[in-house]
Amino acid sequence: MAAVGNLRATTITYRLILRQLVTGGRVLALLALSAVLVLVSLAVGLSEDVEDPLEVGVALIDLMGFTLVVPIVALVFAAAALGDTREDGTLVYLWLRPMGRSPIALGAWLASVSVSVPLTLLPLAVSAVLLDAGSDLVAATILAAFVGVLTYAAVFLFLGVLVRNPVIWGVVYILLWEGLVAQFGAATARMAVRGYTRSILTSMTDVDLDLGTLSMTMGILVPAVIVVSALALTSWRLNEMEVA
Amino acid sequence: MTAEIFDRGYRRFEGERSGVPGAMRSLAWYTTKSMLGIGRRGRHKIFPVVVAVIAFLPTLIIFGVLALFGEGAEGLRPEYYEFLGPSETFGFLVFAHLLYATLVAPEALVRDRRDGMLSLYLSTPLTRPTYVMAKFASVAFTMAIVVIGPAMLLLAGYTIQGRGPDGFTGWVEVFAKILLGGLIIVFVYCGVSMGVSSLTDRRAFASIAVILTLLGLSIVANILVLEAGMNDRLLGLDPLGTPFEAATRLFGDRGIDARNLSTTYIMMVAGGWVSAGFGTLAVRYRRLGAI
Amino acid sequence: MTLPPPPPDPTTRVEVGPMVGDPIADNIVVEAFGVTKAFGDVVAVSDVSFRLGPGLTALLGPNGAGKSTLFRMLCGLTQPSKGNVRVFGKNARRDRNVRGRIGLAPQQDAMFDRLSALEFVTLAAATHGIVGPEAAARRSLDLVEISADGPKRVGAFSKGMRQRVKLAAALVNDPDLLILDEPLTGLDPVQRNRMIALFNELAAAGKCILVSSHVLDEVARLGSNIIVIAQGRLAASGDYHALRELMDDRPHRIRVRTDQPRRLGAAILERGVAEGVSVVEDRLVLDTRDVGLFGRQLAPLAVELGVELNELVPLDDDLESVFRYLVERR
Repeated sequence: MAAVGNLRATTITYRLILRQLVTGGRVLALLALSAVLVLVSLAVGLSEDVEDPLEVGVALIDLMGFTLVVPIVALVFAAAALGDTREDGTLVYLWLRPMGRSPIALGAWLASVSVSVPLTLLPLAVSAVLLDAGSDLVAATILAAFVGVLTYAAVFLFLGVLVRNPVIWGVVYILLWEGLVAQFGAATARMAVRGYTRSILTSMTDVDLDLGTLSMTMGILVPAVIVVSALALTSWRLNEMEVA
Repeated sequence: MTAEIFDRGYRRFEGERSGVPGAMRSLAWYTTKSMLGIGRRGRHKIFPVVVAVIAFLPTLIIFGVLALFGEGAEGLRPEYYEFLGPSETFGFLVFAHLLYATLVAPEALVRDRRDGMLSLYLSTPLTRPTYVMAKFASVAFTMAIVVIGPAMLLLAGYTIQGRGPDGFTGWVEVFAKILLGGLIIVFVYCGVSMGVSSLTDRRAFASIAVILTLLGLSIVANILVLEAGMNDRLLGLDPLGTPFEAATRLFGDRGIDARNLSTTYIMMVAGGWVSAGFGTLAVRYRRLGAI
Repeated sequence: MTLPPPPPDPTTRVEVGPMVGDPIADNIVVEAFGVTKAFGDVVAVSDVSFRLGPGLTALLGPNGAGKSTLFRMLCGLTQPSKGNVRVFGKNARRDRNVRGRIGLAPQQDAMFDRLSALEFVTLAAATHGIVGPEAAARRSLDLVEISADGPKRVGAFSKGMRQRVKLAAALVNDPDLLILDEPLTGLDPVQRNRMIALFNELAAAGKCILVSSHVLDEVARLGSNIIVIAQGRLAASGDYHALRELMDDRPHRIRVRTDQPRRLGAAILERGVAEGVSVVEDRLVLDTRDVGLFGRQLAPLAVELGVELNELVPLDDDLESVFRYLVERR
């Protein structure tokens, strides 16, 4: 039999993982989360007690969107993309094939991003519109959410092939690392994805957020490097790991 | 010719049986050991140690400062309740509590349903209510170490150094307030995390649901009230802040954000969270078929 | 008297010993050289070496013997702690093309439950680079008698059906090496017979097929070439009839049905041809270390005594005896 070309392998993996990821329960639960985000934004947008809508809007998008919604949604799908196949033993049906490892990693990442982006970007964009704080906030939210989802998805995809219980470790990462350690200072903020999404928000809206002091270029470039590195590490891990 | 058999191997147990209380004690103790990593490999102890370090850090910092600066640090005297939850001074304590609630209750409850151990437990003298009570005892006990332990350690330290409350009555009063305030927080966290954990058979999803309920609702409540200027009473939607505010009120103080809310309201909302959480737990386990 | 064992299948070679020669020229498909696998302090497989060519070989061993671990190492799913494994002369872990020539039906039950049987096997075909994967999948499902057009998802299948779908997925790429880990689990007797016949057909067509089992009855019907693993070690390999002959520290047990069992039994003992004799009704059961001598002496003795011989059956010239001997005495 001929070896399977990289494009074909990516496509096959993408379709398979996408199908495995989209379950009614997951999507409904995360849609409910998005609905809460939209409703809160509507409440704030309609409120007459808000002195600076842009500042409040940025704080809300950062707090709700980038502390919770984006990392959690990305974690649920990306950790499961290859993590579930590893845990239940179905990875062998992709691994013991004449296919490269990189297309598998890429296909899985694209599948998790395909599900995560609509569940985060759309509600966040709607929230930004409802906050009635101007088009800068909307544009910044969309770009930061896109960068955030792609980056978190790559990191959690790698986590899924690295450890057992990747979701648990992902929760610890979100709470302890991004929530606590990365808040200590600029140096540690550079080691958290949230530092970069914040930088995009602050650069495009001119609203100051703690530890969102990097430039726009860095806010996009460094996450891109993280994505490429995480995918490369996932491929390497697929090559080296023991498959059940 | 006489003959005698000395040992048939199998023997009936004729001694006293410990019954349901004994079964509950065993289950609670086994679950506690499992959560704290006792009798397990080193890697199972990492998480409890990390959480304990974060939780006890403020107390250790205070002791360190007092040891270094002695009388010069007399002005540095945080309130006891500030060591119980997300206070202005030690906001990061909430991460220890969140981590614990997010990972402990799912571990204690969900694993038994997923592995089929629940049906084994229910084939013993344990019933569903006694099983749940044993699990609650274990979760609450370990969470109490994290929530109440630091403040109690502080009280003990101050007492030893002669900086504690005045007189025996005063000491008992402070002790009771720490205990009661801590228990309110523990009960709310336990209720919410156990109630949410009863809704799914996947530990990972249970953890995510707990974090979204505890932290997510806390963020929502604070945004609605503090940013959108909505009614103060909506702060009751905050399952992290409400029990902490209740503990603060026991010490005669009020949080800045909830200062206009009555103590009765705060206590009722805390009670509401406990009821909602344990109510969900009770309903789910009554309906659950043991496989 | 035992009948002479059937000649070993000339298309199957199981060799144990130093590895020599060119694997391609010698038509060797699988080679294991001093393979050991340890998980922490637990040694799952210890110093196993063998070579396999085309044909059907059964890997026999009790639960926990290391069969599945050995299979995983052959496929490259896990690396040996020591030694190495070659499939078609290469390392399956690193060589894509080799992976394309292997068909594996793993022991674990996990499959993509949300796919139908056709989708699952089509996926297998597509990931093997087969042009026209759906048509190949249909052919493969036909071989294992699963309907390709059934609406049910694999998650709703019975264990036996899931097992057959796994087999279909393993066969879809027409592999040169087929590794089947407990493939008959969950199949009913009719399906089992059909699958065993299929494996024998494929082996006759020149495939190298390695089947594991701990059910002796199944293994006995897969042909006579076996590899026996016990406690992670290679206990024996080769034709099991020949292995029986090698078990010279254990007497052969033979049953003779005769009209005068006591008389015949006494005479046999007197001649020193058997070590022990027992009589039950019209049956004489005896133990002898020298089957050939016994065979030559029995008929003349019966004639001499005027005794009828109605039946002569070797009681332990079967796989179970070989297995017990190799495994239970550890």
